[in-house]
Amino acid sequence: MAGANGDILVDMRNIEKSYGGVHALRGVNLSIRRGEIVGLLGDNGAGKSTLIKVLSGAVPYTSGEIVIKGRPVRMRSTLDAIANGIETIYQDSALVPQLSIARNLFLGRELRKGPRFLDRLDLDRMNGVAAELLRRVGISKNIPPTTPIGSLSGGERQAVAIARAMYFESDLIILDEPTNNLGVAETQGVLRFVREARDTGHSCVFIAHNIHHVFQVVDRIVVMRRGTIVSDDLSPRTSSIQEVEDIITGEPVAA
Amino acid sequence: MANSTSALPAHPPRPGALRAFVSKPEFGPLVLLVGMIVVFTSINPAFLSLTNIGNALTFTVELGFIALAMTLLMTAGEFDLSVGSVFGFAPVVMWTLVNTGTMPLGLAFLVALLLALGIGLISGLFVTRLAIPSFLVTLGMLLVVRGTALWLTDGFPQRTWNAGEQWLAQVLVGEICMGGEGVGCAGGLRIYMSLIWFAIIAVAFHYLLTGTRFGNWIQATGGNPGAARNRGVKTGRVKIILFMLSALLAAFAGAISSIRVSAANPNSGTGYELEVIAMVVIGGTVLTGGRGTIVGTVLGVLILRLMRNGIVMIGVPGLAYNIFIGAIILGMMALHSGLERRHNPGT
Repeated sequence: MAGANGDILVDMRNIEKSYGGVHALRGVNLSIRRGEIVGLLGDNGAGKSTLIKVLSGAVPYTSGEIVIKGRPVRMRSTLDAIANGIETIYQDSALVPQLSIARNLFLGRELRKGPRFLDRLDLDRMNGVAAELLRRVGISKNIPPTTPIGSLSGGERQAVAIARAMYFESDLIILDEPTNNLGVAETQGVLRFVREARDTGHSCVFIAHNIHHVFQVVDRIVVMRRGTIVSDDLSPRTSSIQEVEDIITGEPVAA
Repeated sequence: MANSTSALPAHPPRPGALRAFVSKPEFGPLVLLVGMIVVFTSINPAFLSLTNIGNALTFTVELGFIALAMTLLMTAGEFDLSVGSVFGFAPVVMWTLVNTGTMPLGLAFLVALLLALGIGLISGLFVTRLAIPSFLVTLGMLLVVRGTALWLTDGFPQRTWNAGEQWLAQVLVGEICMGGEGVGCAGGLRIYMSLIWFAIIAVAFHYLLTGTRFGNWIQATGGNPGAARNRGVKTGRVKIILFMLSALLAAFAGAISSIRVSAANPNSGTGYELEVIAMVVIGGTVLTGGRGTIVGTVLGVLILRLMRNGIVMIGVPGLAYNIFIGAIILGMMALHSGLERRHNPGT
């Protein structure tokens, strides 16, 4: 399997997080290799959402260490995470609905031309790159890069967000419930973009309530329960959905 | 398992050029403006006379300056109720400094603009650092600034009658006569320099909003602040700059107005904030932010001022003006909301 024994991209060591007296994370250790898709599963309140918020810089952790590409880093904000090559894609919160696809792709990193202080957006180049990216993720049909995000479907928006992470060479793309509220065809589209990202060398952490979606796309399944990781090397090729569900709920695994 | 190579469902066909034009936020105000001119002119042909156009344009631009800056601020998701107060406050400060012999007009003008920038900065800091809604912050600022103007002057207007000889007065509001003769510019089109300033600033702001990185950030700040911040856009700084810009242009407009009418009244500009916001929203800028149009605002400014001028010329009592303005606002909002639902489902 691609990158099954590849080098380690992100290493989270003994991460603890408590909100007041509540221990949301109790010493989590998780390694993510280059070019693998990790499915993060767990019941509500298991801590998977807190874990990815820590990894995306949205929530500060109480103690522990995050090592990226062999270098310890401190995550204080989402900007720190982006600077370290970690891109998080939340449904509907990553894009500006009023702006065009191209303007969203380059938001904060706009291409410009002209003299300093009188520079202007290089819309031709931005639109050109955007059209090329849309072709790569396979949604170029009928959709010019000048289309506002607001008139795209949910799946198309996910695709734009994923395309952006791919273009800016993010090493790790975190997808939080990317298939929620999507139709069957759109879900398949999003799963295809995730595979496309993996095949071009990006790692992904994929969170979804729908265990079938997870099974279709991931290389490795990590299960959390009550703030800790209870299993981190299940493969969708060797385990059944029933087995994984039992681990999630904490039922004794039938031998 | 479903065929994972299938593309996403095909999109409905995109609207053609004509439908795209109709769906633009500027389309409604443009139709209204043309309709107004046709109706007013057919009832009273003098409406389109050069004298009347010259007069109408003169009064137009003073509120127009504020509306241009307010467009950018509202696109970023905030608005400023203190502009009318600043409009009255800045010239009072300027003429007080001149009349007491403290400094020449040019310097006093700069001091007034700097004070306005300070007012905008304070409003911006309150809104962004303390996370207080701009409605409340600028309402407080409205009272503070108006109160200061009244207190400084004991409520009396400041003398300005030596303004005519000043070079600054010529630069800001000097008359330009096109094709006419004599003192009254008989038979020609008389415009003031302020109209030219308005045109320059309108073009500059349109370009700023649509063609520059800062313009992209303004729209992102109003459209989805969380997403903008996640991409490294300093949304707080964007808003503070725009609050300062709106106060600056309100002061600029106030100074121009005081020179033109030769009076700096501490009460002038009362109620302008609402008229300016009306101009901006009629033009198609969204009150909640994210989408703004300078072209629409210019149309909105013209609609409100020509309406004021036109209903008098066709013999409707001037006091009925507000009825028409209110009806236009309601009608335009209904139109924009209808277009929004038709063209951007799911936004």
